[in-house]
Amino acid sequence: MLRLLVLSLCVAATVATNTLVLVDTLATRETHSIFLKSLQERGHEVSVKAADDPSLQLSRYGEYLYQNLVILAPGVEEFGGALSVETIVEFVDGGGNVLVAGSRDAADLIRELVTEVGVEMDEEGAAVIDHLHYDANDDGQHTLIAAPSSGLIESDVMVGPSEGTPILYRGTGLITDAENPLVLPVLRAPSTSYCYNPTHAITDYPHATGQNMLLVAALQARNNARVVVSGSLEFFSDAFIMASVQTPQGSFHERSGNGKVVEALSRWVFKEEGVLRVVSIDHHLEGEKIPPAAYTIKQDVEYKIKVERLVAGSWKPFNTTDLQMEFVRIDPFVRLTMTPNSEGVFSVTFMVPDVYGVYQFKVEYNRVGFTRLFNTTQVSVRPFTHLEYERFIECAYPYYASAISMMVGVFFFSLVFLHHKDPAPKSKAE
Amino acid sequence: MCVCVCVCVFDDRAWYPLGRIIGGTIYPGLMVTSAAIYHILNWLHISIDVRNVCVFLAPLFSSFTTIVTYHLAKELKSPGAGLVAAVMIAIVPGYISRSVAGSYDNEGIAIFCMLLTYYMWIKAVKTGTLFWSTMAALAYFYMVSSWGGYVFLINIIPLHVLTLMITGRFSHRVYVAYSSLYVIGTILSMQISFVGFQPVSTSEHMGAFGVFGLCQIHAFVDYVRSHLNKNQFDTLFRAVISTIAAAGVLTLAVLAALGKIAPWTGRFYSLLDPSYAKNNIPIIASVSEHQPTAWSSFYFDLQMLTFMFPVGLYFCFSNLTDENIFIILYGVLSIYFAGVMVRLMLVLAPVMCILSGIAVSSLLSTYMKQIDDVKVEKKKQRFEGNYFMRSEIATLFVCVMSVFLVMYTLHCTWVTSEAYSSPSIVLSARGHDGSRIIFDDFREAYYWLRHNTPEDAKVMSWWDYGYQITAMANRTILVDNNTWNNTHISRVGQAMASSEDKAYQIMRELDVDYVLVIFGGLTGYSSDDINKFLWMVRIGGSTDKGTHIKEHDYYTPAGEFRVDKEGSPTLLNCLMYKMCYYRFGQVYTEGGKPPGYDRVRNVEIGNKDFELDVLEEAYTTEHWIVRIYKVKDLPNRGA
Repeated sequence: MLRLLVLSLCVAATVATNTLVLVDTLATRETHSIFLKSLQERGHEVSVKAADDPSLQLSRYGEYLYQNLVILAPGVEEFGGALSVETIVEFVDGGGNVLVAGSRDAADLIRELVTEVGVEMDEEGAAVIDHLHYDANDDGQHTLIAAPSSGLIESDVMVGPSEGTPILYRGTGLITDAENPLVLPVLRAPSTSYCYNPTHAITDYPHATGQNMLLVAALQARNNARVVVSGSLEFFSDAFIMASVQTPQGSFHERSGNGKVVEALSRWVFKEEGVLRVVSIDHHLEGEKIPPAAYTIKQDVEYKIKVERLVAGSWKPFNTTDLQMEFVRIDPFVRLTMTPNSEGVFSVTFMVPDVYGVYQFKVEYNRVGFTRLFNTTQVSVRPFTHLEYERFIECAYPYYASAISMMVGVFFFSLVFLHHKDPAPKSKAE
Repeated sequence: MCVCVCVCVFDDRAWYPLGRIIGGTIYPGLMVTSAAIYHILNWLHISIDVRNVCVFLAPLFSSFTTIVTYHLAKELKSPGAGLVAAVMIAIVPGYISRSVAGSYDNEGIAIFCMLLTYYMWIKAVKTGTLFWSTMAALAYFYMVSSWGGYVFLINIIPLHVLTLMITGRFSHRVYVAYSSLYVIGTILSMQISFVGFQPVSTSEHMGAFGVFGLCQIHAFVDYVRSHLNKNQFDTLFRAVISTIAAAGVLTLAVLAALGKIAPWTGRFYSLLDPSYAKNNIPIIASVSEHQPTAWSSFYFDLQMLTFMFPVGLYFCFSNLTDENIFIILYGVLSIYFAGVMVRLMLVLAPVMCILSGIAVSSLLSTYMKQIDDVKVEKKKQRFEGNYFMRSEIATLFVCVMSVFLVMYTLHCTWVTSEAYSSPSIVLSARGHDGSRIIFDDFREAYYWLRHNTPEDAKVMSWWDYGYQITAMANRTILVDNNTWNNTHISRVGQAMASSEDKAYQIMRELDVDYVLVIFGGLTGYSSDDINKFLWMVRIGGSTDKGTHIKEHDYYTPAGEFRVDKEGSPTLLNCLMYKMCYYRFGQVYTEGGKPPGYDRVRNVEIGNKDFELDVLEEAYTTEHWIVRIYKVKDLPNRGA
């Protein structure tokens, strides 16, 4: 028992996540120390490198050296070493998580990278401006936005519980690809904001205005890799985290909301929060243990799925009341909500529909902030064999009766026919 | 997966995701027969592989057919006619096409069953015994269990009975024969689960039922007539007939209106009206065997039988008996049906052989007597004056007939070796220098699938290749040659005929992993998917979900089907076109022609440089005959 414990501790120790942080200047290490320190405290092996470091590489011998990549280098013109937009995209497709911060003057490289994940930064030099939601420390251009927390996405998993404190932001606005269903608006800009170059006179309609503009966007890819894009590098900085907020409407907050949001968001993007997994699946006839080779129509089937959730680094039973199971053959024939028990085993019992074919038990659970839970198990459903039909049907009794009476009748008829003898014809004489 | 022969086997590897009840969608006769032979031989300790049984089943049954043909013709005419007919059917190309070794098809045994039933029926009519009519019913049951063509049989026998009634030849023998055949045969045929209740509910079988009723009435009337005088009888007869006729018509109308009697099904309509299937049921018309027969193929498949047939008819008419009436009916009807559908050539071939056998044998026996029968000459001095050089002409005639027969033999041998004895899965062609080129692309592709795809991969292809993929690649397929579900085939047709985006939705809905197409543009193999494509469009457009697929969208404004620059944009951008011609635009196929020159259509293709969005090329065989594509997953990072 003890050995097992030691062993599991060892395993826990070796799976420390490696996180690569790319910066423009090493000064960023100081200006964003709170953010980086929190990563280290949570067990990340953080390596901070300059974005143009010629020794950079994400993978070696086909294996990724890092699980997470943080790019706090909006100004980088070209990545050093083996890094490029393509390798980073491949990294995401290979399951890696990426956090990207931009700025008003973000380089084309960063813009190119974020378009790959369905987010577009506004043009160079443009900044989010809001004449109603700015902080008192603003320099007069109203680009230091104090975004109300109502713009945050409604997901405790992603941004933590809402506290109502405004969030400080200075940078460019983000527009998302409307056709990409995977992009999540983490922080929407206030409705009165717009994005334009503050030193230029406004000559044409801004690209991004109001609620259509995002300040922070996230993408959870289909392979559950997570990407967070922020248009502001300072959003993660010590200065913003520690700052107090004074809005023009007169409300004052001792601390900005950035600290909480950055903490929660970084936990989410590095898959410390909102991660679910399917442990095991079990389906069988009700009252049995092992699944048959094929189910027969109208049988009662029990389906069980064990789901766990990552809580503070260890897997705990997941508990929810809205996990559904579908029994699908092109269309779902059965869709039922499953009931969980204390060990995270969700189960449901149902009758196989009266239609034969190849079905799938399908569990699909998509909730904002959680990894996509998707599991299908293919089973065959066959019709009754000729032995399995009802032997006698009540409504057929008249037919049985007629058949039997016919048989009896023929029997007696042939009996009579064979053994009956006409009385001998009277002789002519009589 | 499951090899036991019982009607409850469920196949989950085909028709994904519907699956197929094997017993309910096939005629089991062929499998039951081969399994029985296999088990019996092994029980006798003759170790034989079940595959060998299957390969040699058709030749075995064709030899049975020869024997039964002899007996049938012997019943009709004479042992001599039987021998000639048997010799003829032994080599007639129209039947050899289905009876070569390796042809494991329903028709292979069905023709034997059919002739056996006819033989039993003739016997039953001749003798009027319960024994022979029961045997006929059993033979009929075997026929029903092996081929859908039994409908022909259950219509021609009642027709025979009806003709006998009309010609006043109805007798107790016919009454016993038909009544017992119909009752026993119908009850037995309903035991085949694919046939089920059709014999009592569909209109193809109503003729037989009607004649059965008429038989009873006719027999009853005969009985009544024998007990009444003429006047009484006439009055009674008229009253009863009119009442019954009215009631019968009314009942039929009500049942048809209530849907109790199924409407005439398509296959049968297409027999009566050749354009019916073409206009209404694309899946029937799309099969090349269901096309009307060309005149040349009559000669190709039957040779001298085509002109000996009327001679045989003449001899039958000249000596009209109950059984000759049957063979006349059979001959005339089947020649009509064979004209409607190429496939029914198979039904025509035996009767052609029998009638020609009768003709040849009658002619020969007439003339042979005249060659050197000197004694007869002297005895019948009186008639000698009528015949000029009797012996010489007779000799000449016999010689000519022998030449005909030799020609027939040579023709049959030639046709068999040219047309009916090469495997269809390995193609061969002649190169420029006359050397033989072998195209083994089908097997190459199927083995690639077998070894390189996940075991549960679902392969979408046109239904023609379904059985081959199942058997040789061992992968789950969507549709196959057992075309029991038109809607599902139509769905596949829609996917093939739609643009990539729409096709992707359909393919994801059906969980397709791989798509397989047959393409002949590089080699000049003309029965490829582009040439079949219009049928996919028609079949795809024939159901509710496919109403957006319209045939005329795939034609040029001038109404042509072409794949070059003039072709309709819908065609040049549909999934089938893209899969066939992907990367083809860079290939030189023939000297002096631009790249992308299609050697089947003889045009340069119209849409050359395109990329596939939702598919990726997985494998293309050596001669590009089979191309396999993998369906991509949804993009990882969204649209």
